[in-house]
Amino acid sequence: MNRILKLIQNEQGKIFIRKSTWIMYIILAVLIFGNALLTNSFDGLKKDYEGDDWRQVLEEENKELQKESEEFEDFEDYNNSLIAKNNYYLENDIQPAPYTAWTFVQENISLLSIVSLLTIIIAAGIVANEFRWGTIKLLLIRPISRSGILLSKYITVLLFAFYTALFALVLMWIFGAIFFGIGDLNPSIVVQGEDGFKTVSLVANVFTSFGFKLVNLVMMATFAFMISAVFRNSSLAIGIAIFLMMGANSIVAFFADKEWAKYILFAHTDLSQYMDGNFLMLEDNTMGFSIAVLVVYYAIFMLLSWIVFTKRDVAGQ
Amino acid sequence: MSSAAMELVNLKKTIGKKEIIKGLSFSIPKGEVFGFIGPNGAGKTTTIRMMVGLMSITEGDVIIQGNSIKSNFKDAVREVGAIVENPEMYPFLTGWQNLKHYARMMPGVTKERMHEIVKFIGLEKAINEKVGRYSLGMRQRLGIAQALLHNPSVLILDEPTNGLDPAGIREIRDHIRKLAKEENVAIIISSHLLSEIEQMCDRIGVIKNGEIIKIQDVGEETDKEEVIHHIEVTPMDKAMKILNETFQLESVELDGNLSFRCKKEQVPEIIKRLVENECQIYQVNVAKGTLEDQFFELIGENTIE
Ligand SMILES: Nc1ncnc2c1ncn2[C@@H]1O[C@H](COP(=O)(O)OP(=O)(O)OP(=O)(O)O)[C@@H](O)[C@H]1O
Ligand SMILES: [Mg+2]
Repeated sequence: MNRILKLIQNEQGKIFIRKSTWIMYIILAVLIFGNALLTNSFDGLKKDYEGDDWRQVLEEENKELQKESEEFEDFEDYNNSLIAKNNYYLENDIQPAPYTAWTFVQENISLLSIVSLLTIIIAAGIVANEFRWGTIKLLLIRPISRSGILLSKYITVLLFAFYTALFALVLMWIFGAIFFGIGDLNPSIVVQGEDGFKTVSLVANVFTSFGFKLVNLVMMATFAFMISAVFRNSSLAIGIAIFLMMGANSIVAFFADKEWAKYILFAHTDLSQYMDGNFLMLEDNTMGFSIAVLVVYYAIFMLLSWIVFTKRDVAGQ
Repeated sequence: MSSAAMELVNLKKTIGKKEIIKGLSFSIPKGEVFGFIGPNGAGKTTTIRMMVGLMSITEGDVIIQGNSIKSNFKDAVREVGAIVENPEMYPFLTGWQNLKHYARMMPGVTKERMHEIVKFIGLEKAINEKVGRYSLGMRQRLGIAQALLHNPSVLILDEPTNGLDPAGIREIRDHIRKLAKEENVAIIISSHLLSEIEQMCDRIGVIKNGEIIKIQDVGEETDKEEVIHHIEVTPMDKAMKILNETFQLESVELDGNLSFRCKKEQVPEIIKRLVENECQIYQVNVAKGTLEDQFFELIGENTIE
């Protein structure tokens, strides 16, 4: 156990001593800051419901949405749902919560896909780079099994994914707080449930999304790690993983009418599809089936990584 | 327990249909420096990779201090320090950080031990510099330091003289002799240049096309085998005649010297005879690189199958 901790310490050290890692963190911070800045400068994104005239604000908004729908027919569905939501506020006499740090985090939670990107880069390199540097030979001739080495690397990737995601979340909240204030401790928001609109806790909503994003993150990291361990090539692992991550939705949409589409990994990686107000990737998806598919893919990725890494000869490149 | 630190038992490696290593058997006792010589592609690195568990063994086994590398990897490899091919280190870490990295992977490597090794290998000045800025010679040294951290009983060095200048080679030779003599470490050094490692080895094994074709003690051959000698002598024709008639030795004139093949044990008698017959002897030389000649004879042309 102690040995594994030391191995993890080694791996963490190798990640954070390199400048490229710090540059990735800086880029992440700049992007989050930029988003907060943009949101702050466009009034349209940050509506002002705080005054006593919030009913008027909502009604005016509805009118504008209506007008927009007439000009651009494509927006009609989306705008109608927004109008319905505004009407729910009006009918039930609920004043919409002001835009605060938590609102900013909720609306920009998709920025966590940058964390996926960073994690993929780390996961793709963690085995393959040792081969590229030639240091794998010195790593594997220690009184430690190959499984132990691989495990320490995998745990390192998961740790990296986890604290980078947490870092991004905290940073979003901090920038949100700076620009939009902290507001209520536990504000409520209105979302569309299965049967009409309902009120839910914003903070709970943020953490549920975050949890589901972590699942996605772990799957992508494990996938990149597998490619890295099997093909010993980091560019290949980064390339394939990022391509699949970017193209995930299109891939699912493209094959949606096929019988086997429900077995595509990317129809299930985003579990937030089961949250209120979101759309299912495939019509027949259920949470249970999605989890089953994820578990099977995960097991395959792990098994492939372990078998190839522990069995294959380490010969010259 | 036998005194062999490392033993190869009919070691074989087949990749695809090609048999790369064809049954090597030899053992290396503690304190011996064993030179593993062969032309490019002979199978030195492949053998070394199997010795340390980087490659699977097709048939046979490698026993290190009584432990099989196949069935008891951890106990076997604990006794081994190695450089395989190039001494590749993390370029973005300093020499010290590299050593620390490997020290964390093995039980019982103290900070004192690390300092001791750095001093032994003569890297004190550069140890806090990034390895990316090291010269090849410095990286070779760091490679050796890394291999010695945990006090192994077997040290395996694949081409440690690669890229070193003569002074560097001499220094490595001194280190190796010292380790073998003082710490009783068994050392295996591979090279394709016999002349570079001849002086540091107790024994030489010649490998060609995956087979050991000769194992020989260094220094033994000069007594029993015929070696070329050059004698600067006048008058030359008289000396030639004596060699021919008294010792039945064929001799030729070469660069003002008289050259002939004979055993080392004959030399005193020959000199005595020549002096008795009033020949003037100015100097006697043994042709350098005698092992080298044999080596090239053995491996023939440098063919890679
Ligand atoms: N992975 C592999 N697949 C097929 N053949 C291989 C593989 N690795 C090595 N060989 C072959 O095995 C033979 C021995 O190679 P090896 O690297 O052991 O030679 P070497 O004695 O170390 O040579 P050098 O002096 O050049 O370092 C070569 O003919 C090489 O082509
Ligand atoms: Mg080699």
